[in-house]
Amino acid sequence: MILTVARKEFREIIRDGRIKWSALILAVMLVAALASAGQRFVDISAERESAQEVVNAQFAAQGEKNPHAAAHYGIYAFKPVTPLSFFDTGVGSYTGVSIWLEAHNQNDAEGEPARDATAIARFGELTAAFTLQMLLPLLVILLAFPSFAGEREAGTLRQVLSMQVAPVQLLFGKALGAAGALSVFIGPILLLGLIGLVVSPGGLGYLGHGVVLVIVYVIYALIFLFLTLAVSANVKSAQAALVVMVGFWAVSSFVLPRAASDVSRLLYPTPTAVSFQANIDEAMQSGIDGVSPDTVVQQRQKQTLELYKVETVEELPINFQGIIFDLQEKLGNEVFDKYYGELYAIFDQQTGLHQAFSIGSPRMATQLASMELSGTSLNQHLEFTNQAERYRRDLIEGMNQDITFNSGAGQSDYRADSALWASIEPFEYQPASLGALLTRLGPSFMVMFLWLALSIVAGVLAVRKVKVTLG
Amino acid sequence: MTGFKSVFFQEWVILKHNSTWWAILGLLLVLTVLAALNGSARTNQMAEMGAGLNQSEMQTQAALKSAVARWEANPEGDPPSVASPGALGLSVLSHYTVLPPTPLAALSIGQTDVQPTYYKVTAHPALTFLNEAEIQNPLNVLAGSFDVAFVIVFLLPIFIVALTFDLMSKEKERGVLSLVLAHGVSKTAFIIAKGAARALLIFTLLLLVGLAAVALTEPDLGSGAMWVRFGLWFLVVSLYAFFWFALALFVNSLNKPSVTNGVILANLWLVFVVVIPALVNVAATTLYPAPSRVELTTEMREATEIADQESAESREAFFFDHPEMVGGDANADQFFLQVLATDSAVERAIEPLMEEFDAQAQRRQDVVDLLQYVSPAIMAQNALNAVSGTGTERFTDFVDQVLTFHENWRGFFTGRIVKGSRMSAAEFDEIPAYNYRSLATSSVLRSTLSPATGLAIFVLILGVWSARRYARYPAV
Repeated sequence: MILTVARKEFREIIRDGRIKWSALILAVMLVAALASAGQRFVDISAERESAQEVVNAQFAAQGEKNPHAAAHYGIYAFKPVTPLSFFDTGVGSYTGVSIWLEAHNQNDAEGEPARDATAIARFGELTAAFTLQMLLPLLVILLAFPSFAGEREAGTLRQVLSMQVAPVQLLFGKALGAAGALSVFIGPILLLGLIGLVVSPGGLGYLGHGVVLVIVYVIYALIFLFLTLAVSANVKSAQAALVVMVGFWAVSSFVLPRAASDVSRLLYPTPTAVSFQANIDEAMQSGIDGVSPDTVVQQRQKQTLELYKVETVEELPINFQGIIFDLQEKLGNEVFDKYYGELYAIFDQQTGLHQAFSIGSPRMATQLASMELSGTSLNQHLEFTNQAERYRRDLIEGMNQDITFNSGAGQSDYRADSALWASIEPFEYQPASLGALLTRLGPSFMVMFLWLALSIVAGVLAVRKVKVTLG
Repeated sequence: MTGFKSVFFQEWVILKHNSTWWAILGLLLVLTVLAALNGSARTNQMAEMGAGLNQSEMQTQAALKSAVARWEANPEGDPPSVASPGALGLSVLSHYTVLPPTPLAALSIGQTDVQPTYYKVTAHPALTFLNEAEIQNPLNVLAGSFDVAFVIVFLLPIFIVALTFDLMSKEKERGVLSLVLAHGVSKTAFIIAKGAARALLIFTLLLLVGLAAVALTEPDLGSGAMWVRFGLWFLVVSLYAFFWFALALFVNSLNKPSVTNGVILANLWLVFVVVIPALVNVAATTLYPAPSRVELTTEMREATEIADQESAESREAFFFDHPEMVGGDANADQFFLQVLATDSAVERAIEPLMEEFDAQAQRRQDVVDLLQYVSPAIMAQNALNAVSGTGTERFTDFVDQVLTFHENWRGFFTGRIVKGSRMSAAEFDEIPAYNYRSLATSSVLRSTLSPATGLAIFVLILGVWSARRYARYPAV
């Protein structure tokens, strides 16, 4: 029986053509977005890879130099892209793509693509994820809103129900028919997208991510499908069903994300760049726990002299300057850990607020999941900056140790040769595994399943009521 | 126009008792008030920060000046190191150039969350401070802001469409139209009266909403400049509302069922507000892509390394010892000269790339300026940004002013560094000052009225077209 209803619903939707235009818009945008994503991935991944190679080569080719001068010269870490980074650009337009790793400083990522965008980019970027998040629900609504309400107006609903069709069968039959019609439009494009992912360089490793993404968007579409059916069964006219669902879509997809962003700013304000820097400078000068770096250096000097049982640093078998650099670096790192730690804790709270708001918005839950799977979430940007920072600290420590142990006491004209630069392992970003991402996505998945369950229950309750009122 | 008056007043009575109408209008009012409060919190925060920015800079400058003055009063030994223009310009002193908010800034955040509203100018090349950014959670920037411009551009059309999509189709479906025409009311009068009653209500509400927003956000309600901007704001908002109103009237003239009208209008909303802006953005960035920032990074690095190698000795010695441990002034002078040389070598090396950035950005902006006329939503957003002083034009003008100031500031110090002179206390007063010049009124008018004219043309075309269709509109 479900299949009969589904077949009838499917044929009606295809024949009716009421979603012809919206389906066409969605298909064209989706194809355009996926094609440009492929192109951008090829261009940008090549650019980042070659840039990383160039800076690695520049570092290795420094010639003879004092290691501390090399530490000042530093190296750059470029954020690699994956094929999925362009399916959903996520926060990628608003985060930097490279970090300068140098002595004494933890630098922020620089070169946000948004700097080169016009004001119009704020309407939204044409990505496949944006298209699916924005247009797919509307298509589903237009597809399903007259399902019950339209039949009620036409008087056919009474007939169907009098023919011993269980209301629940009717609901799932209609859902199946609509889903079938939808997959005729969207299915081939998503399949092409997955094939594109597999054939793109290094894309095979992201097939798992891609499949989970497809599931996420299928659930997203199903939520709107059952909600629309529930509303359609509940209200008097098709017109009312349309108004209610478009209203819900607009508020949950457009208003709530912006509301979340502003409320999170008000509740958990981030420091201004000026005060953030001023705090770091202050802590650098006077020490994080009130003990000034100079005092720390003097204490260490005393300890070292006692350890080696000598009177002056010149008598030490090592270069004490290297130890001073290392101390300064470690003290600085404590300061960075404190202030960046506080900042990232605020970011976490703000992200938590977005998660809380996503309880009211299937789109926000879907977006959070989509960005995470595409490797363009805030989380993953911060992971990249953290890994780069750990690399910086190891690099600088290595340089300072070379001064300490390989140069004479007080020898300021010490030169290390290219063997030292060549001994440095190049920076390589290790992205989180799919398993780790899925664990992290628990809250978003929960919200999505909750919405799906709620919308199905609402649909079932609504169709049951239809029977009662007609009986 | 037989029957205009009676239909008009009848419509008023109906609307007065229609709870859906009041719910929708009330929601619009509530959302606008919330957005206005949110915008004003943002603007106040920014204004407060901007005002406090140069305080510590001015204190430092004054302290340094008095240190030099003390030495001048009693010159013993070498002048203090703060008298060195190199130490001052290249390490100690800086000046914040601030873009102050204009009246109505709270109504449209525009690009102020991605574009800086201040720069920390130093004597180093401009690219060192032009890339600085305010701390932001990128997730928040991605979501955008809930400001009044958002309510107008995105939500107002949905409200208008919800109130007007069945304007005529409903009358027809219920058989009211033929009944009314049978009573000798002219078709034109009926349509115009119904439309006018709704339009009047919507515009009264928009005026109320606008005044409420201004009352909540503007500190100075007596300011003439603010009211001029408000006039422009209301003009743009009215034209935009008129556009959606005319579009709904036009779709009604297609003589389709109400439900079909609703579907068509929902699709048109999607096309104008979501699809076209996204496509225009893609068109601009594909036609004139920005040069690679990654390449900029590697080029800068290459240039820095070459410049540094030329003076490896002096620079390395300095890095090894650090400025705070520098032995003599001569050593430091040499170092600062070297910094200048490196700065200008790097600047020269990346100048072609920087020019390419600017040229491409300009071309992209030209594409967007032209293609905005395809979508009323883009026109409305651009005009609302211009009215609130958060548009592209004002920002570009601000950056130009900053760059000019930077030239002066830099010239002041580099001239003295090259001469190897020392700063006297009196010379501290000659350090260039930054004064922001407001964007010319004509420019504000132009960037508001051009899109407004585009909106008016859309309204006119739709109006004429609908009128012609309604002349042939079948009553049954």
